[in-house]
Amino acid sequence: MDKNSPLTEALFYILLAVRKPNYGYGIIQDVLEMTKGRLSLGPGTLYGAINSMVSKGWITLYSEDKESRKKKEYLISDTGRQVFKEEVKRLEELVSNSKQME
Amino acid sequence: MKKFKLYLDKDEEENWLNEMAKRGFAFNNFFLGIYSFEPCKPGEYNYQIDLLDNWHGDKSDFSCFMEDSGVEVVSQWYRWIFIRKKASEGAFQMYTDGESKIAQYTRIRNFFTVALIIEAICFLIELTCAVQNGASFIWTFVALLGLITLTFLRIVWKCNWKIKQLKNEI
Repeated sequence: MDKNSPLTEALFYILLAVRKPNYGYGIIQDVLEMTKGRLSLGPGTLYGAINSMVSKGWITLYSEDKESRKKKEYLISDTGRQVFKEEVKRLEELVSNSKQME
Repeated sequence: MKKFKLYLDKDEEENWLNEMAKRGFAFNNFFLGIYSFEPCKPGEYNYQIDLLDNWHGDKSDFSCFMEDSGVEVVSQWYRWIFIRKKASEGAFQMYTDGESKIAQYTRIRNFFTVALIIEAICFLIELTCAVQNGASFIWTFVALLGLITLTFLRIVWKCNWKIKQLKNEI
């Protein structure tokens, strides 16, 4: 385990949203849907998170539509999947330990 | 309609633009303190202001991304960017978590720190001139530069205060 953990909610859900190629508005909508409207990502937050994850190699630029507008799509990388998996392991530990409270 | 205003605090500036939009004036351009407005339905837009991450003010990547995310980049002045979204399309906040808000205020603080250093150097040079020369118009410049330096210092201090508040909330 390293400094990547715990992931912020934004990073966690963005990684989930780019398990298939996805772009800005699509990511925001998918996260809204997955969280039933609870987590609304601001475009600035998303922009910063995506740039930082691209530079860390967690996600890659999948395609760029050069025709009309440059709609950039992003996709999770193997490193990103690894980071995500580690985070899920940590969350599972939290949930399983939380049962002791019952 | 055009209005002249000098803002250094982007939060106050944002509030003012949103207030104007509520009254039916949609901001559409900024140049050297002159804000241009066009008529709109009262409360049609929500505005946000942001500072670009690069020192040469290149907004192409940022703008494309914002448009892909469903918001409109209205105007740019060097690294400062004015963004809006139709109120009918929901609430509009550029930054929705503590980490990214801290990153934004850190960017703004660093921007004004550089401005502060430059102003402070100008102030000291002007002060030296004034002491050697003594002409009253040079002293006027000294006072003016001193005032600008203090204003920048205030903004840097305010950003630091906000960053501290946000860190406490996380």
